[in-house]
Amino acid sequence: MKDRYEHENLYWIPILIIFVFLLPVILKGVTFSYKYYLFVLNLAGIYIILNVGLDLLSGFTGLVSLGHAAFLAVGAYTSAIMVDQLGVPFSLSLIFSPIIVGIFGFIIGFPALRISGMYLGLTTMGFGFIVKRIIISFRDWTQGSAGLEVSSPVLFGYTIKSDWDNYYLIYTFVIIAIVIGRRIATSKIGRSFMAIRDSEQAAEASGINLSQYKMLAFFISGLFAGFAGVLFAHTSSFISTDHFDILLSIYFIIMVLVGGASSIYGAVLGSLFIVLLDNLFVPLIEDQIQLIFNTQAGDIQSLIFGLIMFLFIIFQPMGLYGMWLKMRIYWKLFPFNPRQRFT
Amino acid sequence: MTDLNIDSLTMRFSGLVALDKVSFTVKENEIFSLIGPNGSGKTTLFNCINGFNKPQNGTINFCGNDLLNKKTYRIIRSGISRTFQNVQNIPFMTVLDNILLGANSRIDTLGTLKRLVSRDQRKIEESMALEIMDFLGIANYEQKFMMGQPFGIQKLAEIARALVSKPKLILLDEPAAGMNDQETREIANIIRDIRDELGVTVLLVEHDMNLVMSISDQICVLESGKVIALGEPQIIKDDPKVIESYLGEPLNA
Repeated sequence: MKDRYEHENLYWIPILIIFVFLLPVILKGVTFSYKYYLFVLNLAGIYIILNVGLDLLSGFTGLVSLGHAAFLAVGAYTSAIMVDQLGVPFSLSLIFSPIIVGIFGFIIGFPALRISGMYLGLTTMGFGFIVKRIIISFRDWTQGSAGLEVSSPVLFGYTIKSDWDNYYLIYTFVIIAIVIGRRIATSKIGRSFMAIRDSEQAAEASGINLSQYKMLAFFISGLFAGFAGVLFAHTSSFISTDHFDILLSIYFIIMVLVGGASSIYGAVLGSLFIVLLDNLFVPLIEDQIQLIFNTQAGDIQSLIFGLIMFLFIIFQPMGLYGMWLKMRIYWKLFPFNPRQRFT
Repeated sequence: MTDLNIDSLTMRFSGLVALDKVSFTVKENEIFSLIGPNGSGKTTLFNCINGFNKPQNGTINFCGNDLLNKKTYRIIRSGISRTFQNVQNIPFMTVLDNILLGANSRIDTLGTLKRLVSRDQRKIEESMALEIMDFLGIANYEQKFMMGQPFGIQKLAEIARALVSKPKLILLDEPAAGMNDQETREIANIIRDIRDELGVTVLLVEHDMNLVMSISDQICVLESGKVIALGEPQIIKDDPKVIESYLGEPLNA
């Protein structure tokens, strides 16, 4: 049997990891406002972790979730309460909070055994509202809608305070999340997830227990969202229910779709693309657009996101990662048959 | 004792009797064909064996196990796998991954967890699929996406997916549908090889009479859910009931 990995190019992985860890240094050398860029990249990193999980659920398994902001919220509040009010060390919270969110996802997954598609999306959205209401109601623990101050993470006796430190903390987990997500996607679990999405009959005949795997998808997705939530709470030092709006859940779905559903790299590209666009590109043109169209602040963001999603779904349904795949195949075959894509 | 015993199987869809007291036995290492006009219950019978449909009466027994009490996803573990009449492949997965889907029952939980930390597990899994792909002659398609593959390759990939679980019995639902003569002959050879080289019993549904008559050891003819003839190809060919309901008179008679 021939070995397929001998010819695979893996040299870019260490280069990329080194680049990720050198990026803050480069940014500091290039620009004065590097702290803002780091803040934006940190946010993107947290969303990458969450979207890898969301992609496994909505992209691979085809179970659309419009409640992932609620997953993030449960993770953030669980960790904040555990660390600040119960005195659990951050490192333990980093293990237990995701598991709690995973179990939460498992419970939300029960309706998915009976319903699918848009109805499941609406059900998960409903869970988002319920979670928000519960957080507001439990004022003793969560300070209600006033928001909750969260302490900085302490790992091995070292307090992680600045955006600089947060960057390294978050991107360590981003790399782990991508590797694990990628391995889940190429393992038995990932294949089963895709089979459930595309042909439940073939899946069942191949020995896949449909309900077990659907619940597993929600659990895994919850684990990733939990990690993202813990990092979000402790690196942004303040959380309130406004951070976990229903609109955020929709933005998560947009990120996965624009990046390319059912590919882990797609979720990564989509998160980076949307977050960087939102925080670096939109402010540049916001003033001009507001003058021309007489819009209010915030409107322009929805306008641009809506337009991007619309254009991607029509012209590039496989997203940014699909674009990259097509480009790569085009260059590989360049003088011959450049139109050939996936066959 | 790897016979498949089907005894007085009855399946009703409210008023419609899809299978009416069907009984037959498929012996080990046999190519057993089910033929009959459209709507005579061939695919329903497959669905009953496979657990998609739950018949009201009768028993299905394989290797001493009662299959009717088993959930669909457990059937493959007792050694029965199947293909579908309309190919059921996953378009956005590579041909190799599609085939590996069938190997799910061979990969235990420990192997799945191992995959999270090492790449070797992936190699082990791929060698399972490549073995079968070499056997069916589609190994050079491994890296290509299922989407956009020719129909013949998709059919073969589905057969490969059924074979990679190392079944004792394989249910083939019209493997030669939509194929030309050349491809049909190849399919006939493949079915023989599945029986002779892999030692897998074959239960076949097919409309191509040349194929059925040339490779079958036993043929069962169904009509409106009833077995109207059962026996070797030569007997079936001359059976007046079968000629009337399905085969028709020879043109030059």
